[in-house]
Amino acid sequence: MRVEYINPFVEATFSILKEVLNTKVERGELYLKPTSHPVLGVAAIVGLAGDVEGRVLFDMARETAIAIASIMNGEELKDFDELGKATIAELANMITAQAVTKLHDLGFRFDLTPPALITGINMEVSSPNVEALIVPVTLPQGKLEINVAIRERA
Amino acid sequence: MCAAVTEVQDQSSHRPEEGREKIDFKMITFSLGGREYGIDIMKVKEISKIDRFTYVPNGSPFLRGVYNLRGEIIPIIDFRIMFHLPLKPIEAGKAEDVLILNTEDQVMGVIVDSIDKVIGVSSQRVKPAHPLFHDINVQYLKGIVEYGSSLYIVLDVDRVLGVTEERLPEQPATVEAPAAVAELEATVYAPAGEEQSAGSLELGFIRDTLAAFRSFVLSDLNLGWVKGRLGEWRDLRSSEGRGVQLAEPSEADDFLESFYSPYTGELWGETYAGEIEGLLPEVSGGTLSAWNPGCGKGYESYSFAALLARHYHGKRIKVWANDNDLLGISMAPTLTFHEEAIPPLLAPFVTKARNGFGFKQELKDSILFEYHDILHPNPFPEVDLVLARDILSFFSPAQQQTLVDLFRSKLRVGGILILGSNERMPESGWREIRNGGVYGYERLADEEPLNKEQVT
Amino acid sequence: MIAKVDYPNINDRKPDGLKSDGTPYKVLVVDDSMFVVKQIGQILTSEGFEIVGTAVDGSEALEKYKELHPNVDLVTMDITMPKVDGVTALEQILAFDKEARIIMISALGKQDLVKKALMIGAKNYIVKPLDRKKVLERVVQCLK
Repeated sequence: MRVEYINPFVEATFSILKEVLNTKVERGELYLKPTSHPVLGVAAIVGLAGDVEGRVLFDMARETAIAIASIMNGEELKDFDELGKATIAELANMITAQAVTKLHDLGFRFDLTPPALITGINMEVSSPNVEALIVPVTLPQGKLEINVAIRERA
Repeated sequence: MCAAVTEVQDQSSHRPEEGREKIDFKMITFSLGGREYGIDIMKVKEISKIDRFTYVPNGSPFLRGVYNLRGEIIPIIDFRIMFHLPLKPIEAGKAEDVLILNTEDQVMGVIVDSIDKVIGVSSQRVKPAHPLFHDINVQYLKGIVEYGSSLYIVLDVDRVLGVTEERLPEQPATVEAPAAVAELEATVYAPAGEEQSAGSLELGFIRDTLAAFRSFVLSDLNLGWVKGRLGEWRDLRSSEGRGVQLAEPSEADDFLESFYSPYTGELWGETYAGEIEGLLPEVSGGTLSAWNPGCGKGYESYSFAALLARHYHGKRIKVWANDNDLLGISMAPTLTFHEEAIPPLLAPFVTKARNGFGFKQELKDSILFEYHDILHPNPFPEVDLVLARDILSFFSPAQQQTLVDLFRSKLRVGGILILGSNERMPESGWREIRNGGVYGYERLADEEPLNKEQVT
Repeated sequence: MIAKVDYPNINDRKPDGLKSDGTPYKVLVVDDSMFVVKQIGQILTSEGFEIVGTAVDGSEALEKYKELHPNVDLVTMDITMPKVDGVTALEQILAFDKEARIIMISALGKQDLVKKALMIGAKNYIVKPLDRKKVLERVVQCLK
């Protein structure tokens, strides 16, 4: 992934999570994976287009998703219901949008699509073999992986 | 913490007089409870002095604890406890001699009284052990062998370590471990039938330690250079009264010092740039694309891009530069330096920056720096040039093959691959071009007969 | 001796959502996220605003606006939506009613789309994550 794109995603992740959850956010070391499949159970996906093509994926366990959605809604969600899904999708949207805004200020033109949310039952994500940058994040609510798989428009 | 290893001596000059016997078994010798033992060097990943490891509760008594070996958590077994041998009182904080062993599924450390040296013997001379004579159960022994004036008991590592029921849970590796000694292909050994010379034994030692200390993999790619360097090294070391063996990482660095291509981590000088320029192919279109894997901090990418801009005047230059060292490459897009360091090749592209000098936007725009692992799916388009200096030598032989195939698939026919100054492409399907001290490899079409023509 | 002091009534601030005649401002909330609709709803209703309708995309937004008009005082409009996006919907609603008061809500910062929306005629914009104080400030300013 292009070096200049990395910091905006990392910073946006931190900034939004801290603001929205008001909690300690720890980042693990960035690394690369050969493919971009989600692995933890719940995934929110935001598509990217423009100077690049690809997507950002927010990967977390179901329990983590419920815990995060509960905090964001100010109420205890019992299940990962429609409201919970909409909440996590919105979180993904906010983080990606802030990254895109920062990139815009750096001169890169990215567009984003509305977020999609997928869960364990329909985990079949068709993704071509694209290398992904992983930003591992540890929250009190559990682990979250930001998985960015984008390719330069040649 | 892991400290320097004890001197490993080459005793091959003292080998038995029995003429035409092949030295086909090397072992590391060590003492245990007052006796001398040896184990197959192929099972030994490295040797260390360790003074601190983490105690593990509820382990077997011979499991002294675990140790963090460059990111991999390995169990530490005490052979003396395991075989009920007399133990010297363990002084807290004193470094113990540890052999780091590589078995089929695990890496583990084994504490012994003291590690002695590496000796090479003929496997014919290893005699079966008599069941009555030894402290250790005969099922764990390969046999005994006489060497010089000593008798060595040869342990069967796999049998011994099969005993250790203690298997720690898999720890995900957080750091890439250097290529295990056991994984290396035995390209250095003379084909069957030829005699093992003291030279090839040494080459084996060098090969093993370069891999363990610096992930440098000896293969056809760099064998020529290594052999030459070994000769120099031998002379250098004997003038210092020392053996050839590399005892620690800093010695591996010294050995490898002359391997790296000129201007590694630096902007290119004019002579070198001129030699590289002589390798550049004819390009007909309006764009020239190049791939520069392993670009590090970017010095070679900027130098290369400047050279291409100069040589292919008027064409659009696009260099795809990447590295899997995030820290290094993250500085590349905004690389700055000081006035004294600007070579003529780059002078036309330099401009004043906030703290020193940087590159003009047009040069920066011609390079795309990406954090990328070249073993992962490749997003780059077809290119006219691949500049891969000193990277193949740090991959395992299987990976090297994969990468050479990848270079081949990315290069158009007639495109040029440039490796490190001491790396040579041994394969067919490429035409070697030499210019002064640098070599380029032209990618031949696939149907062409598989002969490599050498053009000097 | 402790002097007796009369404290003035500090609680006579009027809720932001009420007009001078005491009736609530009527708001149409447009966003494809159920979560955001709920959030905006909570912030505004706590200050006395009345949410008279919601829409999940730009075409539904135009429909609802036409239906409810002239009983809509303010529209909150998300930019990124499926089918018809917020900027297009903004244009269409303004074409229908040039006095329409529309405030853009977006996770995107001051970018081309937001600038474009402001040029077309949106009154203001709010960047997500939604901060209660910020939302109320901008909305109040919008209604002046």
